[in-house]
Amino acid sequence: MVDAVIEGIRERVVAAIQVNQSVGIQVPENRHGDLLEALFESMCRNTHTTWTFITVSKTYDYLSKTFKEGTRNTNVKFIDCISRAAGISDISPNCIYIESPAMLEKIILETLNNFRGMKRDLDKYIVIDSLSALMIYNESEIIREFVSLLMNKSRAENIHVVSILVEEEMDSHKLIQLNDKIIVLRDSFID
Amino acid sequence: MSVKKEVCSTGIEELDMKMSGGIPLGSTVLVTGCSGSGKTTLCMQFLFNGAKKGERGVFFTITEPLFKLTKNLEGFAFYDKKLIESGMVNIIDLRIISERLGLDTEKYTVEDAGALLDILKDIADELDVKRLVIDSITALCYRLQTREMIRDFIFKLGTSLAVMKCTTLLTSEVPPQTFKFSQYEIEEFISDGILFLGDIERKGDLIRTLQVIKMRGIDHSRTKFALNISAQRGIELVPLLKSAEFEAFLKH
Repeated sequence: MVDAVIEGIRERVVAAIQVNQSVGIQVPENRHGDLLEALFESMCRNTHTTWTFITVSKTYDYLSKTFKEGTRNTNVKFIDCISRAAGISDISPNCIYIESPAMLEKIILETLNNFRGMKRDLDKYIVIDSLSALMIYNESEIIREFVSLLMNKSRAENIHVVSILVEEEMDSHKLIQLNDKIIVLRDSFID
Repeated sequence: MSVKKEVCSTGIEELDMKMSGGIPLGSTVLVTGCSGSGKTTLCMQFLFNGAKKGERGVFFTITEPLFKLTKNLEGFAFYDKKLIESGMVNIIDLRIISERLGLDTEKYTVEDAGALLDILKDIADELDVKRLVIDSITALCYRLQTREMIRDFIFKLGTSLAVMKCTTLLTSEVPPQTFKFSQYEIEEFISDGILFLGDIERKGDLIRTLQVIKMRGIDHSRTKFALNISAQRGIELVPLLKSAEFEAFLKH
C-alpha cells in the first residue's frame, strides 16, 4: 500500500515537472517522507537527469541515512542549509554546506554553480525542501523574492524547479502560488 | 556614452557584465571596503585573470607580508604559482622597498613619499605592467604625518597614475557598516571609478555586497549585489534580495 502511494506520487510529480518549469507541491507533514522517497526514487531511475536538492528541513546526514539509495546517486548534489547553523560540522563531497538558511543569495549561487559546465541535453532540476522551513529563518517577503529570483534564473538556464510546502505552515501558503503548477497531496489521495 | 570604450576585463564575469565588459582601459579605480570585505581577493583575481591573457601585473602591498598573501591565495582556483614565477604577476612589499631606500617604514616625510612614488612608477614602467594594484592607499597615507601631506601625496599619485599606461586598483579601508569611500575623503577624487564592498546584516549573518558607485566613460549598473567568495570561482555576484536591504535599513 505504501509503495503504491509513493509510486502514485512519483508518477504525478514526474509528469508535472516534465511539462512545467516550476512545480509547487503542497504536502501534509505526515506525507512529507513519502514525497521525499518518491522524489529520490525518480532521481535514481532517470540517469539523464541531474538534480540539486536544497534541504532546509532535514540535514544531509539525516537524508543520506534515511534515503540511502537516492542520496548516493551521482546525479544528485545536495545543498544543506541547516547543519552549519545547528553546529554540525559534517563534510561530504556530495554536499555543499551553507552557513545559515538566511544566506539566500549564497544558496542561489551554489545551486546554479552546480549546473555549470553540464551537458546541455541533460534535464536539470532543483528541489527546494521546503519553503515552509525557509520561512522559519526568513521573512515571507524575502522568501518570495528568493523564489522569484531563483525561478527566473532557472528559467533562463532551462532548469526545472520543484518547491515543497508543508501544509501545516499556512503562513507560507502564498509562496507556492509563484509556481506554474501546484500539486496538492492529501493524506489518502492526490488532488 | 554611446562611444564604445576599450575595457580591461576583471575576469569576474558578473562584474564585467555590470560594467559594459570591464574597467575602461587606463582608469584608476578605488576598491573600497572594510576588513574582510573581499578587496584583496578581488584585486588578486583581477591581476591573475589579466596575466592569463598575457597582461603583466604588479601588486604593491603595504599591509600584509608576502608569504601570508600568497598562502591565502593558494586555495583559489584563479591562483597559478607559475604566473608569479614567470613574472607575469609580481607581488612587491613596499615596506621592503622603503627599507632598501633607507626610509623609516612607519613614518614618511614628503620626500620619502615622493621617492616611493618614483620607485613605484619605475617598477611599473620597467615591467611594462598593464595592471597595477596598491593595497592599500589608506595604509600608505597612514604613514604620512599631516593631512596636507596626505592630500599632496594623493594628488601626486593621481597625476603619476594618469600618465601610466595601466589600469590601476587602489584599495581603500573604511570602517564597517559605513557608506564612506575613503579614510581621508580625497582618494575618491583621483579615481575614475569606485567599487564599494560593504556588508548587510541579516538575522545576525553578514552578507557581503558590491556596488559600482562610479565608472567614468561607460554605462554601468548601480545595483547592489551580494558578493560571495568561493575557493573555486573567487568573487561571485548575484543580485541582492532587496527586501533584505530594506529590513537592514529599518534596523539601523
